[in-house]
Amino acid sequence: MSKTIKRYGYVLAVAAALLLPQVVSNTYYVTMFCLTLIYIIIAFGLNFITGMTGQMNLGTAGIFCLGAYTSALLTTKTSISPWIALIVVIGVGFLIGVGLGYPSFRLEGVYLSLTTIAFAEAVRQLANNMTDFTGGAQGVRNIPPFTVFGYEITSKIQNYYFILAFVILFGFISYRIMHSKWGRAFIAIRDNIDAVSTCGINTAHIKIIAFTLASVFGCVAGGLYAHYSSYINASTFTLNLSVTFVVMILIGGMGNLWGCILGAVIVSMLPEFLRFLGEYYQLTYSILILLCILFMPGGILSVVKKLKRKR
Amino acid sequence: MLEVKNIHASYGKVHVLHNVSIQVGEQEIVSIIGANGAGKSTLMRNIMGLYHPRSGDIRMDGESILRLKTDQIVKKGIVYVPEGREVFPDLSVEDNLEMGAFSRRYSAQKYKSLLEEVYEIYPRLKDRRKQLAGSLSGGEQQMVAIARGLMSEPKLIMFDEPSLGLAPVIVDEMFDVIVRINREKKLPVILVEQNAFAALSISNRCYVMENGVVTASGDSKVLMNSPEIKKAYLGG
Repeated sequence: MSKTIKRYGYVLAVAAALLLPQVVSNTYYVTMFCLTLIYIIIAFGLNFITGMTGQMNLGTAGIFCLGAYTSALLTTKTSISPWIALIVVIGVGFLIGVGLGYPSFRLEGVYLSLTTIAFAEAVRQLANNMTDFTGGAQGVRNIPPFTVFGYEITSKIQNYYFILAFVILFGFISYRIMHSKWGRAFIAIRDNIDAVSTCGINTAHIKIIAFTLASVFGCVAGGLYAHYSSYINASTFTLNLSVTFVVMILIGGMGNLWGCILGAVIVSMLPEFLRFLGEYYQLTYSILILLCILFMPGGILSVVKKLKRKR
Repeated sequence: MLEVKNIHASYGKVHVLHNVSIQVGEQEIVSIIGANGAGKSTLMRNIMGLYHPRSGDIRMDGESILRLKTDQIVKKGIVYVPEGREVFPDLSVEDNLEMGAFSRRYSAQKYKSLLEEVYEIYPRLKDRRKQLAGSLSGGEQQMVAIARGLMSEPKLIMFDEPSLGLAPVIVDEMFDVIVRINREKKLPVILVEQNAFAALSISNRCYVMENGVVTASGDSKVLMNSPEIKKAYLGG
């Protein structure tokens, strides 16, 4: 019963997402929607390592940045297609996962968080200061768009549907992984890491798998972002952005795809709805987020679940 | 089968185990009794590679496992059912059991027959297989922890305080199962217990630990009648 409801839920969500830009066709809003979709992919990835496995990752902006720069530089410096660059981007995500995961996932708690922050900052500084290669503070301009069957994806609405296709694909992949042996091992690590190793499972190995998934998702999102906005600049990828990603899954509900979607939508759209508050909007926004975390530590989804149980 | 030779272990500067040696042969139940803080759990944790002793050697089937990591030791066939019902509360009973089999690459058929085997030992777990382990009673969680240990087809199984915090009726059941596992699966068992009487009555041999030292060892029946053991552990 509840399974069929869930399936309908997914179908409804996709239908709503397909209709959205037809109903709200204001270009400014469609731009926002595109960015939200990109953030949803990142949240899906972060969900593996932070949401399910319980390892705090504050380096997502660095992952996102590397993905964006890899794709942007490859397609502007050489004339290869964004599709081929995308394959390279996936490879970069894999390398970050294994290369950064191996040394850092022997660390725990706050030391891990610090390492991931350091990684993201290092990436941002490199992007900002290797002027000859990355364009420095000027960023990378004129990044070519993706082409699908010979058509260039240029308008905002085209981009929206293009990115939405990726969201659906990555949502499906996430769903399959979450409900696999791996997914259950991720949750087991969050629940009780000592008991995981006494089950004969190499915990460092599982954490690295979760982290690699997060970095591949983050890099792909970065690639999509670069070609969608056609211009990137290192100042986008700050620690602030990394924290925002964590807030997304925290607010929506950790370890759940709906939570990721809800969190990404709320965190990216809320500032828009609060804009009428003028200069008080930043303050109101922060207070709202704080209240959310204080009173719904399991995320908005946990409240929905509680209401369901009461009924 | 398992041989612990003269190990010394410490947490920082505090010496916890002094020259401890124990042996476990094929198919026997060996109990380790002693008061709180005697070093029983530390000994288990050292065997499992959760801590590494400062000196001494630990051998399984003649091969040293001293420097191996926990997951590699489990692959050598030693399974540890930790104290305090360490289940995964957010996973269902069946998913908890799956974790026990994670490191073995069983065929689907083999996996199913193992699952049936543990459900036969604990039929109650079969009824609750879809339930989250965190929602079970203490006794049932302990069953999950034991069943999970059996899922990797161990060659030796160690129980750390399986009776801790359980109702007396359930404690009896727990010990019955341990004996049954030992007999039916011909599995050697190490049983760490504070409940000295129960431990002595089901084990073949026993080691008595005090302040990190093995102070007595031998046949459980003999120990049970020794005046010192009676006085210190069996209430007169």
